Amino acid sequence: MFERFAVGARQAVTASADEARRRGDRRIGTDHLLLGLLHDPASAEALGITVDAARAQSAALDRAALAAIGIDLEGYSPSPKIKVGIRTPFTSGSRSVIERTLRLTTAEKARRIAPKHLLLALLERQRPDPAAMLLTELGVDRAEVARRLSQ
Amino acid sequence: MANDGILAQIRSTDPVSGLRAVGALHRLADLVEATHVQLAREQGWSWEQIGDALGVSRQSVHAKYGK
Repeated sequence: MFERFAVGARQAVTASADEARRRGDRRIGTDHLLLGLLHDPASAEALGITVDAARAQSAALDRAALAAIGIDLEGYSPSPKIKVGIRTPFTSGSRSVIERTLRLTTAEKARRIAPKHLLLALLERQRPDPAAMLLTELGVDRAEVARRLSQ
Repeated sequence: MANDGILAQIRSTDPVSGLRAVGALHRLADLVEATHVQLAREQGWSWEQIGDALGVSRQSVHAKYGK
């Protein structure tokens, strides 16, 4: 499946696996895909956000969720110790994003999947998708980013 | 009663928040477990004692944390 991915897109997926493990999650979610993409300078610039800002926002969303059920964990920031080495599977949302990425690439008649195709697929996600929630919290103007990417 | 208050709070929350909180609690539990399994071993606890404290088998703790 990843043979059609250009180097940048493949690196984004590898980085997303690292982001998932870094947070202590057992599957690569669409939010991890977004964080992985932010390692790519062109994608970070298109979105207008840094990977650090996105990670911080993700931790803030966790704190808000815990507060919503009555648990106050001020200063909470995930920093787990997860054993590396086992291949991390994708969530079903992430699989949908990858399928959509392939379709977008084909529609554009591009030979290889680039980070921007992955990013366009992620921008389509809707609440309650984790990437969608993160993009909203980060104040990303989806339409504007998509427009910039399509130029 | 205090319990009614907590339950009402959990029920009144949007599942987007509630389910995300569950994920965060799992990650927090993993962190606390890893930290305190290490501390327990440093203080001389056996894998069996650690397993008993966690309510799991000695084998599963050792498989997860043993070298």
